Amino acid sequence: MDYGCVILKKLGRREMTNESEDDLAHKILKDIKAPSDLGLLRCVQCGLCTSMCPASRHSEYDAREIIKRVLDNDESIIEDEIIWNCFYCYTCHSVCPVGNSVCEVNQILRQMAIDKDVGKKQIESFMSFADSFLEEGLGIIPKEYHGQLKIDYGKHWENLQENLQEVREELGLDSMFLLPEAKESVDKTLDAIGFKKRVDSIKEVRNRK
Amino acid sequence: MVDVDKFIPTENITLFRSCLVSAEYPGVEASTKFVFDKLGVEYVIDRNQSCCTGLGHYYDIFDELSTTALAARNFSYAIRNNHKQYVPMCATCYAILKTSAKILNEKDDVREEINKAFRENGLEEFQYNKGDIDPRDDITHVVDVLYYLKDKIPEFKKRDISNLTIATHHGCHYCKVHYNDTLCGYRNPEIIDKICEVMEAPALQWYDHKPRHCGSGFRQRYANRELSLDATVDKFESLHKEKVDVLLVMCPNCQLQFDRYEQVLEDMTGDKHYFAVMNIAQLVALYMGADPYKVLGIQTHTVNVEPLLDKLGIEYDSTEDTLHVRNE
Ligand code: SF4
Ligand code: SF4
Repeated sequence: MDYGCVILKKLGRREMTNESEDDLAHKILKDIKAPSDLGLLRCVQCGLCTSMCPASRHSEYDAREIIKRVLDNDESIIEDEIIWNCFYCYTCHSVCPVGNSVCEVNQILRQMAIDKDVGKKQIESFMSFADSFLEEGLGIIPKEYHGQLKIDYGKHWENLQENLQEVREELGLDSMFLLPEAKESVDKTLDAIGFKKRVDSIKEVRNRK
Repeated sequence: MVDVDKFIPTENITLFRSCLVSAEYPGVEASTKFVFDKLGVEYVIDRNQSCCTGLGHYYDIFDELSTTALAARNFSYAIRNNHKQYVPMCATCYAILKTSAKILNEKDDVREEINKAFRENGLEEFQYNKGDIDPRDDITHVVDVLYYLKDKIPEFKKRDISNLTIATHHGCHYCKVHYNDTLCGYRNPEIIDKICEVMEAPALQWYDHKPRHCGSGFRQRYANRELSLDATVDKFESLHKEKVDVLLVMCPNCQLQFDRYEQVLEDMTGDKHYFAVMNIAQLVALYMGADPYKVLGIQTHTVNVEPLLDKLGIEYDSTEDTLHVRNE
């Protein structure tokens, strides 16, 4: 029997018995982000995902290993910094022979980390995006990083930021901002769905530092 | 018209605005409008539309429920407006909207939770009914529309662009997320190439790392700059090796990565070669005679596009660009 068959047998057992319905893999499958046909339990550890993955090519990250740890019910992965290296490029997702998606599994793991302080600390430097969304209904490049960006992008980029309105007018474009009533209903929607609470809890961790 | 197996709209379109296009490359919006007007595509832009959340979603700031609720809100405007065909200019918007529509159609508990939140907060008008939006047929990228109408493009030819060496870079979130909806292949994506062909400006059939991502990686560009740029270098060096004149993209995220970082990448690799970075809609607009500053908005690009115009023999008045710092 070749190696692949052994793995298939093992995984088949995992899928057949209900011994661990509350293990990490099943928690992931029940998550709002998991499509109903996510092939997590069918992973054959072929490594195709790793072979095409930019994070695996350029860092300690290993896409296949992420799935292995999940299937081994290794909950320490939630606190492991390595999950923050994924590019969310979906390359793994598009090549996986069994319909698994390391990309989506990673997104769920990060949300699990964000339920704890460890994940909130990873994203607090992006909070100006949330603030902009609450104020304007628009995304922005996170202000927290503008210092480095000004160095990388040069003076031209600063000029563009300062003259954006004028440039848009030259191009015959309408205002990029939402209508006032629309801004208000975005704000109400985000309040109603609990996003504001989420933002507050992330900022609370930031401010505690 | 081209035979394709998903519905491609040419009317009742809401051109879905992108935060990065709006603030970084607004000429992509102006070019798309220019080309759509020429081709007779009927569309509106709606200032009730919020951003898709995409960047924040993939910075992990937005949770799925919030993103989906905002999508339901946006869908309701498009439906009431009789322009429910969403056509985004950005690959991230495209994939996020499709995912949201799928969740709203397939996950009854999530849809009900969102509708309940709307009902209890005086937002009944945003409620979503199962099936309101078909994720495959009602959400298409600008390139899908251009591809569908490609045989009409040469009717509006004003300029010859056939002497360019072109490489194409297809957005991962167009090709790889909802890959069953991707036209012209997702492992070796070719949809932009097919649009180039009709302009008699064929793109390179292959270059090393062609199907690879741009390296931006959402949070990685900001929080993990070295990792992000290391990944970009793979493709960058390959483009240099092929001596391309222009890299064509279909997503503002990719445009930013190659255009804004070109100098940084040159410094990192010690490799020098000029190439411009443009959205495919900008090149089609240029081919159709659009003004480089007033339609393409090349003044917003970090890498000057003027050398490309010189190669094409297109006249321009560089004083129209007041953003670049010139040492004259
Ligand atoms: S490509 Fe799919 S089956 Fe293969 S190791 Fe990766 S996740 Fe598992
Ligand atoms: S989405 Fe993440 S795991 Fe998948 S190929 Fe891209 S970087 Fe690798």
